[in-house]
Amino acid sequence: MMNQGAETLATVDPSSLENRYVINGQGQASSYPPSAAGSEALSWTTHRVDNSSTENGIPSNSTYNYDPHMQQPAAISSSLGSSSTQQDYNGYTSYSNSSDPYAYGSTGYQGYYNNNYQQQTNSYQQQTNHSYSQPVGAYQNTGAPYQPLSSFQNTGSYAGSSSYTSTYYNPGDYQTAGGYPSSSYNNQTSGWNDGNYANYTSQQYANYTPDTNAVYSSGTAPATSVNYQQHYKQWADYYSQTEVSCAPGTENIAVNSTSNFGTSTGYPTFNSQPHPPYNQSWRPESVPSEVPPVQSGSVVSGAYDGYWKHGAPTAQIHNTSPAQPHFQKPLEQKSSYDSFQDQQKTACPQGPSLQYPASHQVSHLSQSPQVPHLSQLPQVPQLNPVPQTYQSPVQTAPSLDTRRVNKLQIPTNPRIASNLTFGITKTDKDSSTISAAAKPAYVSVSLPKPNEKTPSSTGADSMLKPGMFPKSLRGYVERALARCKDETQMMACQATMKDMITKATADGTLYTRDWDIEPLFPLPNSDDDNKEILQGTTPISILPKFKRSPNRRSKSRWEPLPDEKPIEKPAYANNNALKYAGWMHANEKDRKKGASKIIQRPVKKQRHSDGLGAVENGDASSDSDKEQGLTAYYAGASALANSPEERRRRESRSKRFEKGQGHRTETNHHKAKNSGAGNLYARRAMISKNFEDGASRAVEDMDWDTLTVKGTCQEIEKRYLRLTSAPDPSSVRPEEVLEKALLMVQNSQKNYLYKCDQLKSIRQDLTVQRIRNQLTAKVYETHARLALEVGDLPEYNQCQSQLKVLYAEGIEGCHMEFSAYHLLCVILHSNNYRDLLSSMSRLSDEAKRDKAVKHALAVRAAVTSGNYVMFFRLYKTAPNLNTCLMDLYVEKMRFKAVSCMSRSYRPTLPVSYIAQVLGFATVVPANEGSDEKDLDGVEECVEWLKAHGACLITDNNGEIQLDTKPTSSSLYMPEPEDAVSHGDASLAVNDFLTRTTL
Amino acid sequence: MAYVSMGEAHRRITDYLNRFSDAVLSQDGASLKLLLSVSSNSPSLLSLADALNVFQDATRLIKHSDSYSQFAEILVPLFRSLHNYRLGNLIDAYQAFEKSANAFIQEFRNWDSAWALEALYEVAYEIRVLAERADRELASNGKSPEKLKGAGSFLMKVFGVLAGKGPKRVGALYVTCQLFKIYFKLGTVHLCRSVIRSIETARIFDFEEFPKRDKVTYMYYTGRLEVFNENFPAADHKLSYALKHCNPQSTANIRMILKYLIPVKLSIGILPEDWLLEKYNLVEYRNVVQALRRGDLRLLRHALLEHEDQFLRSGVYLVLEKLELQVYQRLIKKIYIIQKQKDPSKAHQLKLEVIVKALKWLEMDMDVDEVECIVAILIYKNLVKGYFAHKSKVVVLSKQDPFPKLNGKPVNS
Repeated sequence: MMNQGAETLATVDPSSLENRYVINGQGQASSYPPSAAGSEALSWTTHRVDNSSTENGIPSNSTYNYDPHMQQPAAISSSLGSSSTQQDYNGYTSYSNSSDPYAYGSTGYQGYYNNNYQQQTNSYQQQTNHSYSQPVGAYQNTGAPYQPLSSFQNTGSYAGSSSYTSTYYNPGDYQTAGGYPSSSYNNQTSGWNDGNYANYTSQQYANYTPDTNAVYSSGTAPATSVNYQQHYKQWADYYSQTEVSCAPGTENIAVNSTSNFGTSTGYPTFNSQPHPPYNQSWRPESVPSEVPPVQSGSVVSGAYDGYWKHGAPTAQIHNTSPAQPHFQKPLEQKSSYDSFQDQQKTACPQGPSLQYPASHQVSHLSQSPQVPHLSQLPQVPQLNPVPQTYQSPVQTAPSLDTRRVNKLQIPTNPRIASNLTFGITKTDKDSSTISAAAKPAYVSVSLPKPNEKTPSSTGADSMLKPGMFPKSLRGYVERALARCKDETQMMACQATMKDMITKATADGTLYTRDWDIEPLFPLPNSDDDNKEILQGTTPISILPKFKRSPNRRSKSRWEPLPDEKPIEKPAYANNNALKYAGWMHANEKDRKKGASKIIQRPVKKQRHSDGLGAVENGDASSDSDKEQGLTAYYAGASALANSPEERRRRESRSKRFEKGQGHRTETNHHKAKNSGAGNLYARRAMISKNFEDGASRAVEDMDWDTLTVKGTCQEIEKRYLRLTSAPDPSSVRPEEVLEKALLMVQNSQKNYLYKCDQLKSIRQDLTVQRIRNQLTAKVYETHARLALEVGDLPEYNQCQSQLKVLYAEGIEGCHMEFSAYHLLCVILHSNNYRDLLSSMSRLSDEAKRDKAVKHALAVRAAVTSGNYVMFFRLYKTAPNLNTCLMDLYVEKMRFKAVSCMSRSYRPTLPVSYIAQVLGFATVVPANEGSDEKDLDGVEECVEWLKAHGACLITDNNGEIQLDTKPTSSSLYMPEPEDAVSHGDASLAVNDFLTRTTL
Repeated sequence: MAYVSMGEAHRRITDYLNRFSDAVLSQDGASLKLLLSVSSNSPSLLSLADALNVFQDATRLIKHSDSYSQFAEILVPLFRSLHNYRLGNLIDAYQAFEKSANAFIQEFRNWDSAWALEALYEVAYEIRVLAERADRELASNGKSPEKLKGAGSFLMKVFGVLAGKGPKRVGALYVTCQLFKIYFKLGTVHLCRSVIRSIETARIFDFEEFPKRDKVTYMYYTGRLEVFNENFPAADHKLSYALKHCNPQSTANIRMILKYLIPVKLSIGILPEDWLLEKYNLVEYRNVVQALRRGDLRLLRHALLEHEDQFLRSGVYLVLEKLELQVYQRLIKKIYIIQKQKDPSKAHQLKLEVIVKALKWLEMDMDVDEVECIVAILIYKNLVKGYFAHKSKVVVLSKQDPFPKLNGKPVNS
């Protein structure tokens, strides 16, 4: 199959295929950078998808990038070994090589684009061609160095599981690396997927090639739409519900109407989504790139930089096309691309588009560095030409063809749907659906990524890229934003400021102007803006979809929002969604890796089908307009399997976008400038910074009860993965399942690491669903006990502190047992008198009568007085797990005891006595010391004493004695043998590796 | 609430405003202080609060007069605070007062001399008291009490204003003491450290120059901290200082000091006279002291058990518990003395079983091993001089000073 696919491709576009692939790889890389997890997700998705070829088509639309890669490696190495990373790699390198020439020559690329453009519109063609070709070259140049590195890294990572983890944990690498690493990654991943994968890919591929553009477009459309919708949901706070509903609605329409053109159909929907991302992507670039080009006049350098970032997105677009060997695809892509721009422009050109013009210019700059007018031009002239050119193709495609296409598309849709379901059933439902969603997400994402920074919807920070603008300007923007009382004003302000900045950049005063003394512009009246928007949008938006969305927006709660906001935000959302979708996938897959293998494939299938039926019925279980819109959309498109889970998943995913947005921005920054891996922390910091804005806005509308996740996952086993975003209900287990999971863990024979992992995931699911009851207490108690048994104090402390809260809430559990543990912990390990006092004074009378607590108090007394005899007696009679806690103190206590003995006893002390008193002997009674056990104890004691520098002598009777006087000065505390530099022996590499194979 | 006519209300308010601006202009800290003590329930302030209840427009009154409007930042929230305090809205009263206090600090910063220290003290005191009351109200409403914490951070700010050089530095210790009170109440004593460091390391200003009452309070609190840290010599020093300088009339304060000083003294081997315990009503220590005198372990344990809650709360429980070793020492010394009376030549050899028997009499259920361990510890800690012969189970005491006295030094640990 693989071969076929390759061949078909070759036939279609023999020369350009490889090039395209390369491009794809790049594009993918860019899309993937968001996180290593994302890459993982890819691999997984593919893996699962494999059986359902159709599915590939669908998700592949979005994921074209992936598919090609996967396929190609497969093709090259006909036998896809499970871990034929090197082969893959080779294949990849070859591609890259091809790409290099291509990049430099840029002919292939240009041609590619040209074709597309020509087909669409001549006028468009020229500009675009120039712009594209150059950027491509730049991109590849930059990319060239990266490729090898990335590829190597990937291979390395894959070779060993350990390396894998490392890569996994270093999202930074991926992001920074840019498109290239990811691409290589994909290849590897494909290899990684193993034999299965090979089969799958081939199948997929075959299916894939046959698929017409229509299929693809449709696929993309749904995918994108999904993202979009998700965004909307997520951003619900920001966007009024109406907006959300609109988006889906528009998409639906688009799908229906535009289906004539395979491409067009896909695109209309696509457009709606894309335009937001697009804006973002371009705009950000524009801002950074703009500045230098404008002043210098030589746009190229700036453009290159910007382009580089952009390159990934554009590349991705292309990627989709490569996936489809046919020319149509390229066309489609272009159309989509155009449409993006067009849409943006259409939406933007007028009132609201203040920002947009800027963005457009920027994009132009980046695209067509050659175009001189950028620097001089105020936005309008540039914009107008550009938009027009863009628009024409776009409009024609969707509007003209809309109805005709429908027929075509519809058939495709069913396919897709079936595919999806199919895939779902076979694979993990989550993965399949998600993958579908995610993949589209990726496509769209690629565009937005670079831009994200600029979108500026978040405020000054996002608006101004650090370093790109003079500090004073930053200050200015901050001042301006500080005046804003509400979001609408904020948005308006941002719009105004963007306008100002664009102007300033255009006439070269950006750096010369003294922003510190620049008077603040009058606060824009949000109403006015609104009108503007309306006016601007309605005339421009020829496409029904577009019209609607703006209009509805105006109706929305967020009415006053300037135009930019709606557009941008979706973009954000898209980006985020894309990234995050990938991320999530990765996570989920990762988590499920272990579990899914073992259990429950059948279960999933069933559920999925059920869910599908429900979806088709169109009864959206959920509440909001958005939701309905979603369902409607899905029903109309019938492209994606809409299980309630899926919807919920989307919801949850959308939630995480809030965070994602910040994330995104940073990523972009870093990607562009530093390819190093160390950005993680910086990124986090930035995220949090960026996030604040969004969060504060979002919180006001937040109803935590409705947002609380209700898990749907039925798997009992689940790997723990620290959430970095909102939870996904489909991977969260409901209470009943958690109960079973707890039982499973309790009865499990596996090692602590496994149990700990499982318990943590249970805890996570509980937390996420805000379940606080006896089960919660039980889980924490179980975990605390397990942790105690192996002496994992940090984990124990976590559980203990949670338990404290739970008990305080009146939830029943083994309160006494754990207050005893707590006491012991304070006594033995924290050595803090105040803590000890306060926890002692908090003990109730009842507690003081409790056996365990009494024991703990006795231990405390023994410790404070240094009474080692008492201590070791208590040690032997300890109830529950008190022993385990005391275990951790035994060494200290023995040492103290021996140093005490060596001072107080003269001349000697029999070791047998020491062994007996210090708990070496298992059975103590003083006079029975001659049995074997005791001897063992003595031997052990001798060992211990020797290890601590004691002087031992043998007396006349052959009994070993401690020679106390010399011992008193020679005792020392040896370094613990199992000490590890990171302080936790349980984190040893070997153990860590075994974790991954749990 | 007595009826107040509008005119009367207006008169009272303007009267207050006049007194306020007069006090500021004439730099009369003492009278300014009276005007700020919201919680003092002084008749003049109460009547003002009533007036404010009637005359709602005091804000305008303040803002429209040149002589008052410069203090509007202080006065407007202060009026609100007074008003709310009168109405029993302690939370609002606190919040308004904090606002006013912030404004006052701003003004205070600008005054070169330290004339307003008195008033500042009042503000610091008021904010703590109001915060405590507001917290009580919050707690009774089921909300989390957080005002005292807020007051703490406000006072930290005040401390920052005072802690520099110059005449205002004298006031720093007062604020420190208010902070201590807050931190001890909140149980966040670790926050004291930074304040203490800045007081004790700044050599520019001699500690002795602070007002005496602040010094005593400061020493009391830092002494308590040392008790927590089981640094008995330092605790002894600080608490003794506090005791020495404390106003002999304020028996309550002396009692508070003694409550910590006595355990500290006990643990360094100094026992108080009975009359002291009687005089200051510290009877909970009586049995402890008695046990130490007699070597009566049982009595000590009883005493600890009896007052466990109290000792735990005040934080001396662990200190007292450590007296056990001294009690053992006393017991063994007694045995030694008795032996010596019987047979002076063998007195320095104490059989373990004798000690075990003695403990049995005291109803302490300890077997040979345990007692042996105790003896070993006593020797190890230098409470007993000598050695233990395991084979013969005999404690061989040093012939010179077998039971060294602590003499003001803590037990070796």
